[in-house]
Amino acid sequence: MKDLPQTVFVVDDDDAVRDSLRMLLKSAGVHAETSASAQEFLSRYDASQPGCLVLDVRMPGMSGLEMQHELNLRGVTMPVIFITGHGDIPMAVEAMQQGAFDFLQKPFRDQELLDRVQRALVRDAENRARLRHTDRIRERLASLSPREREVLDLVTQGKANKMVAGDLGVSQRTVEIHRAHVMQKMEAGSLAELVRMMMAVAPSP
Amino acid sequence: MLRPEMAGSNDNGAAGSQREAQRVRTIIVAGQSSDRTREVLRALSGFTNVVWPTSLESALAQMGSQDAGCLVIADDLREEPIDEFLQEARELQRNLPIFVITDPDDVAEAVSAMRHGATAVIEIPPSYAALCEEVSRAMQ
Repeated sequence: MKDLPQTVFVVDDDDAVRDSLRMLLKSAGVHAETSASAQEFLSRYDASQPGCLVLDVRMPGMSGLEMQHELNLRGVTMPVIFITGHGDIPMAVEAMQQGAFDFLQKPFRDQELLDRVQRALVRDAENRARLRHTDRIRERLASLSPREREVLDLVTQGKANKMVAGDLGVSQRTVEIHRAHVMQKMEAGSLAELVRMMMAVAPSP
Repeated sequence: MLRPEMAGSNDNGAAGSQREAQRVRTIIVAGQSSDRTREVLRALSGFTNVVWPTSLESALAQMGSQDAGCLVIADDLREEPIDEFLQEARELQRNLPIFVITDPDDVAEAVSAMRHGATAVIEIPPSYAALCEEVSRAMQ
């Protein structure tokens, strides 16, 4: 499947700001889509579309911070760059604590925004690559039989085949066969790689 | 919120043990800060152990030797490389709450501190109530 192009989504209720940002991004070769409100953006946002978000903090209706909260609830990981003409420290801290990628006060230099957008796009690409990687691992995990999964869990805890055999009440030879199947299905070249895969899909502490 | 009198509490049982666990953890306050801020920070001594390293370097050393509950970076250290320090501190103790006290309205500095690992940024002069609330939450 062909990757979708990265898009910068600009959400700002000010027509002039939207137009100038669209022109600026276009001049830098970046595809941009604009929305005049949080509701407009949310109604047409497709989570499969990669990119980043440039979001005004103060908008009528749903504010930028409220929209960020909504995106968090929806599990959207797209980097958010807040822009505001009326920023203060508590507002910036709240946005960053909620996971904002950056927070920029107006007026800002064009290059400042472009630099941050470029970094946000890189971050989004990295996030999506990581997600694709963990999705593949989960698919492979789903292909294991219950017994193979048990063997996987025990060997990635550092247990030797003999100990695994003892824990499961089977012969060491049986463990070796299951282990070989696990390595094959997980497409792992070594135990270390298998451990890394399990760490990648482990829930965060 | 923690109360100063908890420091001297002799309660028994689970609640007492929990308070005891909170009591022995250390707040590291890096820098001496302005007079007004210092007064507020000194008030933290009322409810737990507080150490006062005068530089970021010595704060890092304290982090290694103390059972740190949280770290407060006072506003007189702004000439020091706080962003680098925050990154280093995060590598040392990933989950340690770190509060940076900064100039009011310096949003760029606050954002930078947050990006580099600060838990929150508090404007000077911090109110005693706000600071205690943040620190209490962190110590729990």
